[in-house]
Amino acid sequence: MKRATQSTETPQVGRSVPRLESWLKVTGRAEYVHNLRLPGMLYGKIFRSTVAHGRIRRIDVSAAQALPGVFKVVTSKEVREIVPDPYFGPAFHDQPILAIDKVRYVGEPVAVVLASDPHVAEEAVHLISAEYEELPAVYDEVEAMTSKAIVHDVLRPAGTFPDLKHLKDRKNTNLALDFRLRRGDAANAMKKADRVFEHRFSTQQVMHTPLEPLVSVAESTESSLTIHTASQSPSFVRIEIARLLGWPENKVRVRVPFLGGGFGAKLYIKLEALVSVLSLLAKRPVKISLTMEEQFFTITKHASTFRIKSGVSKDGRIVARECEVWWNGGAYADIGPRVTQKSGFTAPGPYDIEHVAVDSYALYTNLPPAGALRGFGIPQLVWAYEGHTDLMARELGLDPIEFRRRNLLREGRPQATGTVMKDAALEKVLERISVLMEWGKPFERGAGTVKKGRGIAIGFKACVSPTTSLAAVNVNADGSCIVYCSTADMGQGSDTAMAQIAGEVLHMAAESITVVHSDTDVTPYDMATLGSRSLFHMGNAVKLAAEDALNKLNVLRKELGLAADCPIPDIFKKKYGMQAGNVAGTGSYIPSYKSPDANGLTDNATPFWMVGASGVEIEVDTETGRVRLTRLVNVADVGTPINPKIVETQLSGAAIMQLGFTLHEKMVFDAQGQLRNASFAEYKIPGMLDLPASMVNEAVVAEQKSGPFGGKGVGETGTFGVSPAIANAIHDAVGVRLTSLPLNPESIWEKLK
Amino acid sequence: MKPFDLLQPGSLGEALSLLDVADARPFAGGTALMLMMKAGVLRPQRLVSLRNLRLDAIEANGSLRVGAMTTLRALERSEAVRNGWPVIARALRTLSNVRVRNVATVGGALAHADPHMDLPPLLSALGAQVVVAGKGGERRLPVEDLYAGYLENTLRNELITHVEIPALGKRGAAYLKCTTRSADDWPAVGVAVVLGSEERIFVSAATDRPVRIKDEAAIEALKIEGDLHGSADYKKHLLKVYLRRAIDEARNAVH
Repeated sequence: MKRATQSTETPQVGRSVPRLESWLKVTGRAEYVHNLRLPGMLYGKIFRSTVAHGRIRRIDVSAAQALPGVFKVVTSKEVREIVPDPYFGPAFHDQPILAIDKVRYVGEPVAVVLASDPHVAEEAVHLISAEYEELPAVYDEVEAMTSKAIVHDVLRPAGTFPDLKHLKDRKNTNLALDFRLRRGDAANAMKKADRVFEHRFSTQQVMHTPLEPLVSVAESTESSLTIHTASQSPSFVRIEIARLLGWPENKVRVRVPFLGGGFGAKLYIKLEALVSVLSLLAKRPVKISLTMEEQFFTITKHASTFRIKSGVSKDGRIVARECEVWWNGGAYADIGPRVTQKSGFTAPGPYDIEHVAVDSYALYTNLPPAGALRGFGIPQLVWAYEGHTDLMARELGLDPIEFRRRNLLREGRPQATGTVMKDAALEKVLERISVLMEWGKPFERGAGTVKKGRGIAIGFKACVSPTTSLAAVNVNADGSCIVYCSTADMGQGSDTAMAQIAGEVLHMAAESITVVHSDTDVTPYDMATLGSRSLFHMGNAVKLAAEDALNKLNVLRKELGLAADCPIPDIFKKKYGMQAGNVAGTGSYIPSYKSPDANGLTDNATPFWMVGASGVEIEVDTETGRVRLTRLVNVADVGTPINPKIVETQLSGAAIMQLGFTLHEKMVFDAQGQLRNASFAEYKIPGMLDLPASMVNEAVVAEQKSGPFGGKGVGETGTFGVSPAIANAIHDAVGVRLTSLPLNPESIWEKLK
Repeated sequence: MKPFDLLQPGSLGEALSLLDVADARPFAGGTALMLMMKAGVLRPQRLVSLRNLRLDAIEANGSLRVGAMTTLRALERSEAVRNGWPVIARALRTLSNVRVRNVATVGGALAHADPHMDLPPLLSALGAQVVVAGKGGERRLPVEDLYAGYLENTLRNELITHVEIPALGKRGAAYLKCTTRSADDWPAVGVAVVLGSEERIFVSAATDRPVRIKDEAAIEALKIEGDLHGSADYKKHLLKVYLRRAIDEARNAVH
């Protein structure tokens, strides 16, 4: 990666420190929950619903219970002996630990078999039978607005979020949030505009596919519980399990070692409530490891429909925009309502538009639940608004980059919410894409059955707010340092980044610092590892904690009459007469924030903006509709890269993941809500041969002034522009516009015929 | 997965008799078998490993004789194959991925009878024969006669022991496939062409087994069903495009 010149270059920050854990990982010694076996441990295997919506008439577990080796079969009846009201969820308390009375999607957990041998448990699952009275079901997010099929009889907001309170006890609706934003008078401005454009885009349901599927282990006594889990949100797990059990937080311990990928799949409660209850019922440790395929029935990415309309003036300025977005949340809300709101307010895109109206709807349907997936809804929105932008530029006869340039949000201008743009390098990112794509030069168009095209797209994201991170930094008597934080290192390199930040403050090599993984009995609270928030929030907390420790060391030096540069071991020797003691620094970080008003407006919507753009060059086979990427350029504003190499791999990893969501991946359901391709032979993620021959990943010279050493999040940024850039390039190559993902060859061929 | 016994006989005769019970399956590379067992499609009581039958030799003597337990990777890397039948080495390079090719076997790839596989149409076009052994002795049959339908072969409690591929000589040959999702996906269509005095063209993937056709016009009459790879119309169209391209490639093949 080409390094940006950094304003705060120092020995630790800005250095491509190799991942601290890489040696452990490549030698097979890194700790994962999948490898954990406890004495007396039982394995749970899940029996799942075969209907999309139905009342449970009968569950027959007798044959399963009778199979030799089966310890116990558990249904919601037994769950309620431990937890009387066993519904969980971050936004709504809508998801039962095991289905109660009703099932709401094919694949919903209905019963669990426990056995010492996982193969016996799996065999026994085949012996369970259930009868359902089938109910009308709804699968499409737009139909769900008016459907007579109602997924939840009563809505139960969790109470955490003020904008969900008005939905409490609401009946006869599938609407789990109706976010609304009004700035100016879009309808009126639209009437006065010289040109009006309206398009409709849609995206498909896809899955996170972490290499390590979801896995959790619980061990218990009557009054305490330890959960070992592959979770991105250990603090949330502790709070939610304590709430379900009616226990204080200090009786629930949540440990998280390394994660083999997360991407948003391992947030909030997934298997943790289930293994906890099973362990309390069985009085034995219980482990549930999902298969790769079971993840299709656990958490997915929202399918969506987006109607977008713009009024444009004669001089190519966008004067008004209306956005209507429907999010297919599946049967349980998970974090969908946050996606609807936190992404919803950026639906008009990174453009300076005076009159804006946004309606963003979270909908329940009878499909597997949808939550956060690397971008928190942003890739779905950019897909639509950047396709729309390109189509308008074409109609107006303007160069697509020039049209964007004319309308781009500049520093200091208000975004749709009214929040003023700050430290968001939109212009730099767009201009850099233009340079790297050699946009001004003539482009070779191909020959024969191979037509070439190119396209770009730019998107932005507001980091979810307000969220809190706490950290502790311990300096030992020999001068070595330990960082305690609950950020989950799931492959994004957070351990290394946190060590670099602490090392920068304490003048220590990042390689010498130990980072202790999440253990809620040990590491302080953190909201979660999600939405590219950790480098900024936890990074600030670690920086504050390290500064606190450094300050305490300096106070000690002074008290003890030592020189300002006295080595750390000498301070402790002087203080305690031997190598003893330690200094603990703490740090807590929460950014300022203002809730949106009834019109969705606020002058402080987010602590920082992420900006990402992609440019692609492609070849379309005009006889088959097949698309081949020849070049992919990703440019981002990540503030100051703390670790340039990790920034590069985060950008490329995110872009490649989005490439799969753009070209191949799709969960295909039949008319009964059954998933037709619940296997990796039929659900295709990209492989090495799908990657473009040429790929550039670059961060522009930028600084996030409120971030630790100028840094900010990068985990999602590479996803933003990929899908619309490819669709725009296909249009450029062969004149075919696709408005639904994925961009499969047959749909291109259909239009080329 | 149901518990099962794994037996590892040291001779062909022993293997055949161990297989002569209900619920027994031969176990070659296991790449397809394990997936089917995990999915619960197959629930065998007994697996009979063919690993110790010493059926993994590649012998070139005019024609090519390949032991059924030869891994796809060994075939791909064989000097004899690269020199005499380069079309096979080329086809193998994009067959699934190197991890699968390292364990999957030639016999397994032929016996599995999944029409999306690459070797059945290619070896059929090359005029290859399989040698199969049963309790009653050995017989030989053309590769294309191994197939009765989707995942259905014509073996009668027999094991493939060898495949024999006649010399290709200077005849042009090509195998092309088209994937409609990721590059390593199962193909939507496969086309194998061997030119010469008796031109042999086989199509697969879109059909339920490798089917020999005479020319492009014959594609219209093929029975093709739409699936997740594409609609029937699209796959028919792809077959025509890929047939033309395969013939072109075969004509231009240099070896």
